[in-house]
Amino acid sequence: MREFEFLHPESVTEVLDLLETYGDRVKIIAGGTDLIIELREDEGPENLEFVVNIAHLEELNYIRQDAEKIYIGSGTTHSQLAQSSLIKEKIPALAIAANSVGSPQIRNRGTVGGNILNASPAADTVPVLIALDAQLRFKSTAGERTVPLHDIYIKPYKTNISSQELLVEVAFNKLSRSASSSFIKLGRRNALAISRMNVAVILDQDSDGVITDLRIAPGSTTPVPSRIKIAEEVLLGQKPTPELIKISGEKVSEEMINLSGYRWSTDYKKPVIETLTRRAIQEALEGRG
Amino acid sequence: MYRYIRQTIPKIDLKAKVTGKARYGGDIKLHGMVYGKTVYSKYPHAKILNIDTSKADNFPGVVAVLTMKDVMGNNELFGGFHVLTGDKVRFIGDGIALVLAKDLKTAEKAQKLVEVEYEVLPSVFNIDEALAEDAPIIHDFAPGNIIPDSTHHLIKGDLEKGLAEADFIFERTYQTQFIEHAYIEPEAVVAIADAYEEMVTVYGSIQNPFSVRGAVADALGWSLNQVRIIPSVIGGTFGGKDEIASTLSARAAVAAVKLGRPVKIILSREESILESPKRHPYRFYYKVGVKKDGTITAMKSTVIAQGGGYNNKAQFTNWRAAIHTSGAYRIPNIYTEVFGVFTNTIHGGAMRGFSSPQTIFGQESLMDELAEELGFNPVEFRQINALRPGDTTPTSQPLGPGKIPAPLPEMIKKVAEQTEFVKRKEEFSRINEGPIKHGIGMALAMRGAGLGGEGLDATGANVMIQRDGSVVVRTGLTENGQGLKTAHSQIVAEALGISLERIIYPNVDTMTVPDGGPTVASRGTMIGGRALLKACEEIKQNLFKVAGEMLDCSSVELEIRDEKIFSINNPEQSLDYLKVVDQAVSIGVMLASLQWFSPGVANLDHHTNQGEAFPTYVWGVVVAEVEVDTETGKVEVTKVVSAHDVGTAVNPEAIKGQVYGGIVMAQGMGVLEEVEEEDGILKSKNLDEYLIPTSMDMPEMEVIIVETDDAFGPYGAKSIGEPATEIPAAAIANAITHATGQRIRYLPYNLERVLLGHKLTKKGVRP
Amino acid sequence: MKTIQLNLIINNQQYELQVDPNLRLLDLLREELDLLGTKEGCGVGECGACTVIMNGQTVNSCLVLAGQAQDAVIFTIEGIQGEGEELHPIQAAFIEKGAVQCGFCTPGMILSAKALLDHNPQPTVEEIKEGISGNLCRCTGYQQIIEAIQLAAEKMK
Repeated sequence: MREFEFLHPESVTEVLDLLETYGDRVKIIAGGTDLIIELREDEGPENLEFVVNIAHLEELNYIRQDAEKIYIGSGTTHSQLAQSSLIKEKIPALAIAANSVGSPQIRNRGTVGGNILNASPAADTVPVLIALDAQLRFKSTAGERTVPLHDIYIKPYKTNISSQELLVEVAFNKLSRSASSSFIKLGRRNALAISRMNVAVILDQDSDGVITDLRIAPGSTTPVPSRIKIAEEVLLGQKPTPELIKISGEKVSEEMINLSGYRWSTDYKKPVIETLTRRAIQEALEGRG
Repeated sequence: MYRYIRQTIPKIDLKAKVTGKARYGGDIKLHGMVYGKTVYSKYPHAKILNIDTSKADNFPGVVAVLTMKDVMGNNELFGGFHVLTGDKVRFIGDGIALVLAKDLKTAEKAQKLVEVEYEVLPSVFNIDEALAEDAPIIHDFAPGNIIPDSTHHLIKGDLEKGLAEADFIFERTYQTQFIEHAYIEPEAVVAIADAYEEMVTVYGSIQNPFSVRGAVADALGWSLNQVRIIPSVIGGTFGGKDEIASTLSARAAVAAVKLGRPVKIILSREESILESPKRHPYRFYYKVGVKKDGTITAMKSTVIAQGGGYNNKAQFTNWRAAIHTSGAYRIPNIYTEVFGVFTNTIHGGAMRGFSSPQTIFGQESLMDELAEELGFNPVEFRQINALRPGDTTPTSQPLGPGKIPAPLPEMIKKVAEQTEFVKRKEEFSRINEGPIKHGIGMALAMRGAGLGGEGLDATGANVMIQRDGSVVVRTGLTENGQGLKTAHSQIVAEALGISLERIIYPNVDTMTVPDGGPTVASRGTMIGGRALLKACEEIKQNLFKVAGEMLDCSSVELEIRDEKIFSINNPEQSLDYLKVVDQAVSIGVMLASLQWFSPGVANLDHHTNQGEAFPTYVWGVVVAEVEVDTETGKVEVTKVVSAHDVGTAVNPEAIKGQVYGGIVMAQGMGVLEEVEEEDGILKSKNLDEYLIPTSMDMPEMEVIIVETDDAFGPYGAKSIGEPATEIPAAAIANAITHATGQRIRYLPYNLERVLLGHKLTKKGVRP
Repeated sequence: MKTIQLNLIINNQQYELQVDPNLRLLDLLREELDLLGTKEGCGVGECGACTVIMNGQTVNSCLVLAGQAQDAVIFTIEGIQGEGEELHPIQAAFIEKGAVQCGFCTPGMILSAKALLDHNPQPTVEEIKEGISGNLCRCTGYQQIIEAIQLAAEKMK
C-alpha cells in the first residue's frame, strides 16, 4: 500500500483550496473502487502525497432536474443512479448501465464522477453519457468551466483534466417525450463483470416513424469514447429497416477498425459490436414511447 | 430404521462460521509474531547467479531475510519443490527468499528490496514445446521433459483385433486448461517453535496435515515426532491446500526455529494464484472403433498431462486418468497410455476430481461425436455401450449383484426421462432459428472410490466416551467444509446408539492420532467411516459387557438405541446409557478405542492396470441445458440435473450441497475459467481476471440421489465430493455443441471460442 | 505519515481511534479492533469476503479507506446477533439450510443478505441472486444460500 496523508475536507471549497495548494501531489478519492486497488499495488501517481476524500460531501451528491436538463452530482453513486426514479423514468439506459457495474458493494461506493474520470474504455455509464452529449462542470479556485464529456479523453485511462480541477457535476439535456434509450453490456459473466463490449443508443422518431435523432456510443470499441456519427447517419432521416439497422452496426465496426486498426481481438470484436449495436437500436425502437 | 443415517442433520460446525467466530489461519495473532513474505522469481526459467538481501536486511523493521542456505534440513521437498529456490527457477512462482518483518506492511516493502541476478534460460510453455526434439530440459532427472513415474497404461483385450472388428474408425483430440481452485481463503500458516519440547507446531490452511508434517520435518532435518500440525478452520481447499501448504509450512517452520519467534505467512490472492497448484491441463488423442449398430469395439487413447515447473501429483492423477479415460463403457479392447510433461509454467496438482473432469470432458465429447456420426441420439448411444451388471470394468472387475453395483443403465433411463432429454433435444433443434440457440447435453461417468491402486489406503479413528457420557472423536481427516465432521458424527451416533449432541470432534492434531493419510479422493466418509465403525464396535462390546452383568444377561443379546441398552430378547428390561457408562468407569472398563481400517493392498497388475483398481465405484449421469447467444458467444447454463449413486445417503441435504457446489465449479470449467499465462507470466492474477461463476450465473439445479446396495462403505455409504464436480462441464460442452452445431474440442467454451471456434490471444490464434 | 483521528460507531459501540492514513477499513477492523469475522479474500473488491454494512449499505471494506469511515455507522458479522447473543434469523437460516461449507464467504454473504432484507424484506429469487452477486462462494453453488435467505425472509415477516 502506498503511503500518503489522508485529508477529509468539509466542503467543496476546502477541496479546491487543497487542490490549488498541492496540485498533482493530491489524488481525489470518492468511491475508491479503482484508486484503492492502484494504491494497494503501489501504483497510482508518482508524486502522490495526499489523498483527499470527497465521498462524504453531500454537496456533490444529488440528482436534480429543471425544465431543460438533468444534473447529477459527481459524487452520486451507481446505486443511487440505478435506483433514482427520475433517471429510471427519463433515461432508463443510464439506470441500466449504472446497475450493470460490478456488484452491489461496488455500486454502493463507486461514483459517476469516478467512472468518468478513471477513463476506462470499459466504463459502463460513459457510453450512455456520451450518447446524451453530457457536459461536465469542473470547479477550481480560479472559477468553473463546463466541458463536453467527449472532449476530456486523450487515451485509455488518460484525460486532459488538470489536477487543480474538481469534477462537480454531470449534466445533459432532457430527451424529448418520444425519445428512447437503450444500453447493452456484454460481460463474461452476469455480475462482477467488466464490459467486454457495450453500447448505448438514444433514438427519436417522428410520427411517421422517421428517425429524427440517433446517437450511438459504444464502449471498449474506439480509443476514446465517442459517438459514431457515420453509423448514426445511416438511419437519420430514414424509417428503420432491418437492413439499415444492420448497416449502421457495420459502420460502428468500420469506425473501430479505422481508428484502432485490425488488431488481435478484432476477429471477435467486429461481429460482436455489430450485433450489440443492432440490438441496442432495435431495443430503443421497441422501448420508445 | 436408522436414527441418524439417511437423515438431514444440520452440519455440526456451523455456529462459529455464521457468527464470524470460526478462526482461520489468517486470524491467528501471537505475541512476538513476525510476518513472512516470499520473494518470487521474475522469470519462468533462469539460473540464479546471485541473491543480494543486504538492502532488505537493513530495512527498518526487518528481522531477517532467509534464503536457501538458511534451510537447515533438506531444501528439496517431495516433488522437487523447494523451501526456497536457490540455483535455478523453473516457473514464476518459485520462492527465492523469505523476508521476515515486524508486520506485514514492512515485509511487503522489504520484499521489493531483495535483488536477484538471473541468467535467463530458454523455456517451454506448453505440451508441444516441452516434447519438441530440441526442447530445453527443465529438470536434469527428466530427459525429454517427461515426468518420471507419470506414465501409466491400461491394457484390456486386444486393441488391434478390436479395431479390425469395427465398421468405422474415428480419431479425435481434446484438450483442457489450467484451472485455479479459487477457494475464497488465501493460504495462511503460523509456525511456533518450542525450544523446551524441541518441537515445532504449525497451524493454518492445511488440507493434509500428515503430508505437511513430512515436509516440515524434512526441511528442518527433524524427525516426524518433533513436528505437530494442527489445521485451522480451512476456507476451502478442493485439493489445493496441499503442496502449497507444505511449502509454506516448511518456510514458516524454518524461520520460526531460526528466530525463536512465531512466524506467520499469509498469501495475498495474487501470491496464492501464482504459487499454488492448479488443475492440470490434459490432452487426449483418441482412436476408436465402432460397429454400425453402435457398439464400441476398441479404444486407443494417448493422454498427456501438462505438469508445470514441478510435479508431485501427475504420477497419481495420471494413474486415475489411465483407469478412467475410456469411460464407463463396455469396451472389450482398450489401450490407454498416459504421461506427463514439465513446462516452465504454473503447475498442476490435486484438484477436486483429480483428472476425472478432464478425462470425462474428453470421453463424453467423444461419445456425443460418435453418436452423431452414427446417427444415434446421445442417450441411445450411451445405453448401447454403458457398463451393466454382468460386465467387467475397464480394469476387469466384475459388476453385478453381490459384487460392485452397476446402476448406470437405469440411471441413464431415469435422468433421460426426468429431463425429457430426447424430446427436448428435438424440440430445441426445431426452434433454434434465431441467434439465441438452446441446447441439451448429457455426460456420465464411473468413478473409482477412494485411493484404490493409487497408493495404500488406510486410516485410523479414535473414539472415547468420557465419564459423563460425552464423546470425543478424533481422526486424521480434515473438515474442509464438505461436512466430514457431521457425517462422521452421524456414523458414531448411529453406531453407539447415542445422541449426536454428545459428540465433540476437534480438528486434526497430528500428535494425537496416527497418520491417517490425506483427506482426498472422496475417501473421508467411506474409509474414515469404516475405521470409526470398528472403534464404536469395540466400545459397544465393552459397554455391553458391563450392561450384561448389570442386567444379568449375555452381552451378545444386547442392543443400544436412543441411549437405552436393552436385551433383544426382553426389550422391557433396559438400562440408561449414562448408568452403564458410570458403572464402566467405576469398575475400570475402558470406553475408548483406537482403530484402523484399510482395504489392503490392491490386487492389481501395475503394467496393464487389470485387477482391483478400486474397492468399489460410484456412478453419475448429468444433463445440462444451455442458451447460447451465437452472435456474441455468451453461454447461459440454464439447467443442470445431476444424478449420483452414493451407496447410502448419510445426509441428503449435505449431499445436495456438495452436488450444487460441484455443478457450479464445473460450470466455471466449462464456460468461464482458465488461468492464462503469456510466455510463462501470469495474466490471471486476481479474482478480477480469473473469473468464477457468481450467483447470477448459476443454473437451476436438480439433484437426484441414487442409492445402491454396496457393502463396502460404512452403512453402505460411498463418495460424493468429487463425483459432484467431474461430469457437468462435459454435459455443458455437449449442450453447447447441440445448440451451435459446432464442436469445440478445447475448454473453456468462452466468448471467443463459442463465436469463432478458437481462442484469441495477443500472440495470435490458439485452438 | 500523519495519523488521523477517527470517530465511528461499530456494532453499536462508539470508537475514537488514532490510525494510519493509508489503513483500509478492513485493516482497521481486523488488525486494530480484532473483529476477525470480516475476511480478506482478494483485496480488490471482487470476492466480497470483506463485506460490512456501512451507513445501511454493503461495502467491500478492502475498498474503503479507514478515514472514509469517519462518523460512519458500521455493522460487521460480530454485530448482528441479538442482545442475548441469539442468532440473527439469517444466521439461523444459514445453519438450517446448510448454506455454509467452508464458511469463509459466510460473514460477508450474511451481511449482504441482511442489507438486502433490510431494504427489501420479501425479495424474489432473482433479487436475492443480485443481492449476493458481489459475494463469491466456491463451495455451495449458492443454491442453499438462496434457500436460506428465502427462509429468513419468511421467518422475519
